[in-house]
Amino acid sequence: MSKLSSLALNDEGFAFDPSTGDSFVVNETGQFILKGLTAEVPAAEIINGLVETYDIGPEEAERDLGDFCERLRSYGVI
Amino acid sequence: MAAAKLTVAVSGINAVDNPGPGAGVARSLKEAEGLDIEVLGLAYDAMEPGIYMDWIIDRSFIMPYPSGGGEALVERLLYIKQNFGLDVVIPNLDSELPVYIKYARDLEKAGIKSFLPTRKQFQLRGKDNLPDLAKAIEVDVPETRVVSSPDRLIPCLEELQLPVMVKGTFYKAKRAYTRQEAIAHFQELANEWGYPVIIQEVVTGEELNVVGVGDGEGGHLGLVGIKKSWITSQGKIWTGMTVRHDGMLKATQDLMTHTQWRGPFELECIIGSKGQIYLIEINPRFPAWSYFSTGVGHNLAANLVRKAMGDPVDIAADYEAGKLFVRYTYELVTDLTVFQKIVTRGES
Repeated sequence: MSKLSSLALNDEGFAFDPSTGDSFVVNETGQFILKGLTAEVPAAEIINGLVETYDIGPEEAERDLGDFCERLRSYGVI
Repeated sequence: MAAAKLTVAVSGINAVDNPGPGAGVARSLKEAEGLDIEVLGLAYDAMEPGIYMDWIIDRSFIMPYPSGGGEALVERLLYIKQNFGLDVVIPNLDSELPVYIKYARDLEKAGIKSFLPTRKQFQLRGKDNLPDLAKAIEVDVPETRVVSSPDRLIPCLEELQLPVMVKGTFYKAKRAYTRQEAIAHFQELANEWGYPVIIQEVVTGEELNVVGVGDGEGGHLGLVGIKKSWITSQGKIWTGMTVRHDGMLKATQDLMTHTQWRGPFELECIIGSKGQIYLIEINPRFPAWSYFSTGVGHNLAANLVRKAMGDPVDIAADYEAGKLFVRYTYELVTDLTVFQKIVTRGES
């Protein structure tokens, strides 16, 4: 099981890694992306979802997704 | 049907800033479902707080130090057995274990049961034997040198890069950033605990621990993994949380299979950034935080007592990751009666 799929995320954006005990908090956009990544939604669909939900351009949405994934990588989550 | 009354003695009731494991074990025994346990506290000093914690410890006794050879300690246990009853003893301090292991059969013959590692198992997990054990269960161990004389220290420091961990053979580990610090720690630990002194590479990562009880047949009577999230200046847990790290739990199971471990243990490891598991230490006893396991549904002390008594043990299937452990300070006020009794009679 990947770390991402075992990550526990509550409605307030508190994420907990049960294998290491690490935890972090994400904002609403982060929750949106994290839920998509956890459900293995393709990146293009997550970007479309961000564009529709948050009224932003596709370039900005792609950049946000990239930045967020980079942060998750630094936490060892992906 | 009411549960039969059992009398169980626990040591390490020094619930101080560097707490012994006894208070947590005693509390677990008092909360054991289906067992009615009278808990006896075995203390080495009249000021050990467990003596005064009458909600978890019913009676206390001052014990002779095990360094005296053990005969006096056994005699004291037989006195307790004869006068107050004693079914099971759970020693919780490292320094006691060699004596309790040595006399386990004699105590058993006298009707005092225990559930301890064998002498061979106790030696296998010694700090100087840890690299071989780690290899056998296919985990890593930090580069280690076992140093038995002062003149070997400098060559070892040259082989391992600073900083290093300097570890006493029984207790204590200190980090040294410079050669001078390493020499000072080495001398201090050699004076306090004798030789060998262990010099170890510093590895970084997540520090995770497991508490459990081996069943002596390659299985276990319950395991709980935790992360210590806040520790005191003495390196003792203050807050922590349960975790489920599959690699660490597998390594623990492999340890049980390989050693046929019997009795309680605490396994300390570090998970490196690439997922490698470094075995740091195996303590052959309950840790001071063992009540955490009871709080998440694995009453390991109760399981140990059942196993020691030859009764069936119902092992909880699993535990939930993300349960929080918070230690706190507390005060109790009492009169001098208990103190007077323990000082004058050696028992309360």
